[in-house]
Amino acid sequence: MTDARPLLTIEDMRIHYDSVRGAYKVVDGVDIEVHRNEIFGLAGESGCGKSTLVEGILRLIEPPGHIRSGTALFRPFPEDPERSLDLVQLDYHEMREIRWKHLSYIPQGSMNSLNPVMRIRDQMTDVVMHHEPGGQNEINRNIAAALEMVGLPESLGTLYPHELSGGMKQRVCIAMSMLLQPALVVADEPTTALDVNVQRAVLETIAHLRDQMGAAVVFVSHDLAVHAELVDRMAIMYAGVVMELGTVYEIFDNPQHPYTKRLIHSIPALGGPRERLESIPGMAPSPLAWPEGCRFHPRCPDAVPACSSTTPRTIELDTGRKVTCHLFDPDIDLEQGSA
Amino acid sequence: MKPLVSYVITRALMFVLSIWGAFTLAFFFFHLIPGDPVSAYLQQLEQQFSQTVDAADAAAMAAEMKARLGIDGSLPEQYWRFLGNVFIRFDLGPSFINFPKPALEHILEKLPWTLWLLGTSTIISWILGFVVGGIIGTFRNNFASQFLINFSLVISQIPSYFTALFALFLFGYWFVLLPTKGAYDPGIEKDLFNPRFLLSVARYAIMPAMAVVMVGVAGTLISTRSLVTTILGDDYLQFAHAKGLRRSHILMRYVLRNAMLPQITGLALSLGFVLNGFYLVEIIFNYPGMGSLFLSAIRLLDYNLILGIVLMSITVVLAATFIIDLFLPLIDPRIKLND
Amino acid sequence: MFVVDAWKRSGYFRVGSIMLAVLLAIAVLQPWLSQLALQNPDVSPMSMGTFEPYADPSLRHPAGTDKLGRDMLALLFLGIRVSMLIALIAGCTATGIGISLGFIAGYKGGWVDAVLRTGTDMVLVIPSLPLLIALAAYLPTISIPVMSLLLAAFAWPFTTRIIRSQVLTLKQRPFVDLARTSDQGDMSIIFLEIMPNLLPFLGVSVAVGMSSAMLAEIGLQLIGLGPASINTLGLMVQQSVQSGVLAIGKWWILFAPVSCLIAFFVALNLINIGLESAFNPRLRSVTGD
Repeated sequence: MTDARPLLTIEDMRIHYDSVRGAYKVVDGVDIEVHRNEIFGLAGESGCGKSTLVEGILRLIEPPGHIRSGTALFRPFPEDPERSLDLVQLDYHEMREIRWKHLSYIPQGSMNSLNPVMRIRDQMTDVVMHHEPGGQNEINRNIAAALEMVGLPESLGTLYPHELSGGMKQRVCIAMSMLLQPALVVADEPTTALDVNVQRAVLETIAHLRDQMGAAVVFVSHDLAVHAELVDRMAIMYAGVVMELGTVYEIFDNPQHPYTKRLIHSIPALGGPRERLESIPGMAPSPLAWPEGCRFHPRCPDAVPACSSTTPRTIELDTGRKVTCHLFDPDIDLEQGSA
Repeated sequence: MKPLVSYVITRALMFVLSIWGAFTLAFFFFHLIPGDPVSAYLQQLEQQFSQTVDAADAAAMAAEMKARLGIDGSLPEQYWRFLGNVFIRFDLGPSFINFPKPALEHILEKLPWTLWLLGTSTIISWILGFVVGGIIGTFRNNFASQFLINFSLVISQIPSYFTALFALFLFGYWFVLLPTKGAYDPGIEKDLFNPRFLLSVARYAIMPAMAVVMVGVAGTLISTRSLVTTILGDDYLQFAHAKGLRRSHILMRYVLRNAMLPQITGLALSLGFVLNGFYLVEIIFNYPGMGSLFLSAIRLLDYNLILGIVLMSITVVLAATFIIDLFLPLIDPRIKLND
Repeated sequence: MFVVDAWKRSGYFRVGSIMLAVLLAIAVLQPWLSQLALQNPDVSPMSMGTFEPYADPSLRHPAGTDKLGRDMLALLFLGIRVSMLIALIAGCTATGIGISLGFIAGYKGGWVDAVLRTGTDMVLVIPSLPLLIALAAYLPTISIPVMSLLLAAFAWPFTTRIIRSQVLTLKQRPFVDLARTSDQGDMSIIFLEIMPNLLPFLGVSVAVGMSSAMLAEIGLQLIGLGPASINTLGLMVQQSVQSGVLAIGKWWILFAPVSCLIAFFVALNLINIGLESAFNPRLRSVTGD
């Protein structure tokens, strides 16, 4: 199912926030590929840069933040899979053309992402009219179909956002994101503020969308349980970089990176024997001054001398399975550092 | 009962009760002021016509006059009588000025001038303040915006009669551009269909209006800017950008429209307070409005006229709040009906 | 102490309080400063005919003299002192009334709150300047304290409102609940838990009370109904308007008191903005600090 050319290739993405105290290197060198028709998960503790990374791809970073370097090659044209656009380089108008039609977004704060003084249908019409102007009847049909797909009645279109529950608003956002049948949907913590059964409905809707519409989804969540349920492949981020990347089965059944292991052991196993859950000791580091060498080494139980002196390389274990850790690097002297 | 009906009835009841309450406070306040306006008035007449009236005649005249003014008998009697006359027959009784010309006629003669001058300047300052506030809220990091907001913050609390004095000095005496006193050129026949008269009315209104507008703009500008700043940071604005809407569309439909709804309340309230706020500006420019009328009424302790003017102010303010309460839920969906 | 915090956090507060401090210093040092301008211990700044009327500004009279032959600078110092005194008494009294009523309304709630709130709203609705004019016109004598109290009588509703809403929110806060469940008495909750959080708002309310008293005082004077024996800045404005100094080109006679008053208003307003932006985080975006 993997195409020769991935839908989105992110290379060496760095997003920094300038401040008087120096640059906050929130995203600091990320390489990721997203394939067509897959759900790709981004996981990690809060502050690891996952939301900033997707905001960067969506070009929603506002000053003092800026994309320092990197490319994000986007190939949304099925008829011409070789044709690519670098999302980082597009100007405002080119980007506006891409937005929603090819690249849509389910925002983090869906609660507040709808204009409080516009009816749902008007907000949905708004976005269609800006990209594929057409007759009102056709647009209304599309809107009704989109709402139906997320399990909402058409009549909901005449309501205002404050008349909806949180889960309904979230599903409206999902319906909106699918209106123009984009190639890629970025969902940023879409389930975070919802209670568990609503969460489940939203996740099912997202999976359903991928199956029916053939879109790829980049799914951001700090909640590993949600990833386990939904995504195909995933990346574990820590301190602005990717620590480990692989399919969801590889990551959960056979985690390699010490950070991933810790992270997975910090969630309870359902139905298993009750064990004492381990939390990760120490504090998350500051993006103003990441630790030297491996960024996880101050909290890493398996740290060796090399970890504090040399930045680890990303090692490919199998096809598409990557770990950024000295322990898997055959070329490094673990006691001394320097490959 | 339907919630809407009960809402309207409660509000209307509150409206009437507040008018009555405030009116009662004002009635007893003015009537408790020591002073005998009738004797003072008769003395003044004696002096005017150089005649002496013997004490018995004077007492009879005074009693007669008090009866016609409705200020004979005990205070509670006066109160109930006045209340009945005003609220049932819309009759304020006669006034001292051109006795026995009805107080209501005096008010109706002066009211249009005040409404024209202050109503127009209030609306102009609201529009100007909203537009400029919206612009500097959107582009707030340049020098002009910073300067304007700080300038407004500084002058917003300066009373409008100071700007009036300043305008008077600059345009009335220094450059001698505009007339300094009155509401129209006394040499022109007062005729609403005479273009020369209308032109003169406009010319005479420029300076007092300018004085009110300068200070009024600052207030609206500050609050609009803060609203716009808040909206720009809201999630739905980032989402609107992600949807690839045009910038101009976002500014009009998402930013300014959302900021305008709460500001309409502000406009209605300032229109409500039009009769309260600007006595002094009228007096400085000798403008024949409610301010000058009230001053004459106070000098004569003309109860009926004073209470008529106060009642008018109270009613207009409360009517403005009442109308806001009734219509704001219809135009701004964020506001729910609740008592 | 909240003043120190405000000083550190807000440039508006710094500028405003420096301006106010200068005015305050003039008010305190007025007897000496006025003498300096008069150079004659036998006359007071208000005595008429001391100098030649309508003298242009010169080294001897840096602000000129008025129609009655008084040195404008000496008079101005006196005006600042008297206006400041009235504004201070009125502002503090209004704050006192406002804080008591606001506290009772917010803390007690229920029907007490309903009654007080309705009363406050009604006073707010009645146009205050007319009432003030009427009172001033028919009171037999008006001294500085009477004047101040009169002005305070119309400046308290604002304070009542902000204190009430603050108490209402503070009452909901966990630390007050904690105090209540740990069996602290009402008085100790009010003074130890709630009051300290209200101090910045008290500052705001004194500043607002002072400027609204000032505003009303000038209003009274401008209409010509203020007491002519109390030499406030407002009276000076009124006298210069009355004698038509603009028409004869002696504008500085009017602009001396007007600019002092403007300085006063601006100083108080800056202090206000400063306090609010330092203690109300939502407002920080408003002032762009």
